[in-house]
Amino acid sequence: MRLASSLLLAIFLLLSASVFAEQAEMEAVPERSPAARTLLLGYGWANQLDTYLSPMDYSGFQVSCLIQSERMTRLAKRHISFQSTFQGAFTSTENPASTARYLGGRIAYDAGWHYHYSPLRNLDLKGGALVGADLGFLYNNRNSNNPAQGRVSIDLSLSAGASYSFILPLWRGHRLPMQAHYQADLPMIGIMFSPEFGESYYEISQSGVGHDIICAHPGNALSLRQLLTLDFCLKRVTLRVGYLCDIRQSNARSLKYHDVSHSIMLGFVRHFQLMRMKSEK
Amino acid sequence: MNYIRAIIIVFVALLTSCQGSDYEYDDTPQGNLDALWTIIDQRYCFLTYKEQQLGFKWADLRAKYSAKLNPQMSRIQLFEVLCQMLSELKDGHVNLFTSLDMGRNWSWKEDYPENLDTELRKQYLGTDYRIGSGLKYTILPDNIAYVVYESFSDAVGEGNLSDMLVYLQLCNGMILDIRSNSGGELTNAERISRRFTNEKVLVGYICHKTGTGHDDFSDPQAEYIEPSADVRWQKPVVLLVNRSCFSAANTFVRNMKEMPLVTVMGDQTGGGSGLPFSSELPIGWSVRFSASPSFDARMQHIEFGIEPDVRASLDEDSAAKGEDSMIEAARRLISSSQ
Repeated sequence: MRLASSLLLAIFLLLSASVFAEQAEMEAVPERSPAARTLLLGYGWANQLDTYLSPMDYSGFQVSCLIQSERMTRLAKRHISFQSTFQGAFTSTENPASTARYLGGRIAYDAGWHYHYSPLRNLDLKGGALVGADLGFLYNNRNSNNPAQGRVSIDLSLSAGASYSFILPLWRGHRLPMQAHYQADLPMIGIMFSPEFGESYYEISQSGVGHDIICAHPGNALSLRQLLTLDFCLKRVTLRVGYLCDIRQSNARSLKYHDVSHSIMLGFVRHFQLMRMKSEK
Repeated sequence: MNYIRAIIIVFVALLTSCQGSDYEYDDTPQGNLDALWTIIDQRYCFLTYKEQQLGFKWADLRAKYSAKLNPQMSRIQLFEVLCQMLSELKDGHVNLFTSLDMGRNWSWKEDYPENLDTELRKQYLGTDYRIGSGLKYTILPDNIAYVVYESFSDAVGEGNLSDMLVYLQLCNGMILDIRSNSGGELTNAERISRRFTNEKVLVGYICHKTGTGHDDFSDPQAEYIEPSADVRWQKPVVLLVNRSCFSAANTFVRNMKEMPLVTVMGDQTGGGSGLPFSSELPIGWSVRFSASPSFDARMQHIEFGIEPDVRASLDEDSAAKGEDSMIEAARRLISSSQ
């Protein structure tokens, strides 16, 4: 784990050094580009609790991947953007006594619209809603009759964010144009799978999962995803470094669950100019 | 600014309101005992029943066994105290797994005669018996089928069952010997049971805990055995059982007892009617316990075993002569029913 952390840090420092060395070729990060696609890979710390499997908190690492695309639409005088995000994560955590391990996997997809508002030339605020689906599992390598828990949910989230462009002054009068982004997504209403407190797989297999689909809302599944990133250009590539804080949790049917991760993200952004086909004119 | 302040408050609240476990126990002898006591108190499904049957009060046991602890005690000493507390439950599905030992209470079989001589059983099977996955079967000289199934963990497929029943179809009856079968997969128990009925049969009920209270249970869900669409057995069956028939084997006996052509013969079964769950202690030891109780068709507990229709035991004098008195009794019962 330490080796992987050091490796990521080294890559980050190397890239940063390259940027400073290549100041002559610095370019400004496009402000609210018509379309952008981001690929981020992350590594971080994870903490998991699922009282269906164990009452203990498990801690370990998470590797994750986030692919996000965002484009401005023609709606509301080009103030509305469409965003879609795919998120994948794999976690490996262990109990405090290091005698049992969780292996977890999760994929999530959400998509939705944001309304943009720019109170200042270099500040862009946005707010909107996302519809998402989440599919995951958590496997305990020691439990016998309750070795794993499944996670399935569909929800509608409120989403808000901000982008701020600024220039970072460096030494000898050099300057580095940068753009900071922040986005928070808060699930508000949805459905999720949750077995009852002591419900066995055998009973679920006999009676189906229909009665185990319950309504999810901030009262029983208060979750939040926050992504804070910083963009800067290297030649014609926009690099993005960031911090992803993902809190998934629920407290339903006397079962508690949380999956909290804090990850350093690293990747790049590709900006596109959308062109109209001739035939569309 | 008020909006911004409200948003900040919501996010700070979110970051600090993470769903934590209600299980804040230290890795000390007292912390581990408290954790184990709480797991059983909240999740064990037979507490009320066991308190009535065995005469203890679970609430009193925390103090009783805490008195045996001291902060300097070794791991093995702690293990012994925790096992003593668990043994009050007299449940074969309750175990404490550690690198030192596996805590258990096997009084349900160790306190009774085994009523099985595996060498005798081998003699009845002979050497040319057939093996269909976990099933071993042969035809005895008086044209009675003899089938041995030693563990419900041994998979039995529909093809195995059909081939066996076709092979044995001309027999006058069947002795199904599951003595010392200590359980396994419930799906195997259900799959085999379906070959012994022509109608949908109510065999029992199952429920589970819905909360931490001792009596927080779901509504009992009826369990039925549907007849198999494949080959089904239509002749007398004697099911041989002993005290070591536990867990899924106990459930199988419950199912078979409801079948019209089946006679259960032997000793009371070992019980074990709770589907087990796993949990763990701060020290890292794993604990297993009964979480979902099942009942018979009259909603009676079968946790302490099922009474046979016909009592029979292994006679030592007969055994010395190379005869298994229980198999012989089963042969006589089938022959007399012709």
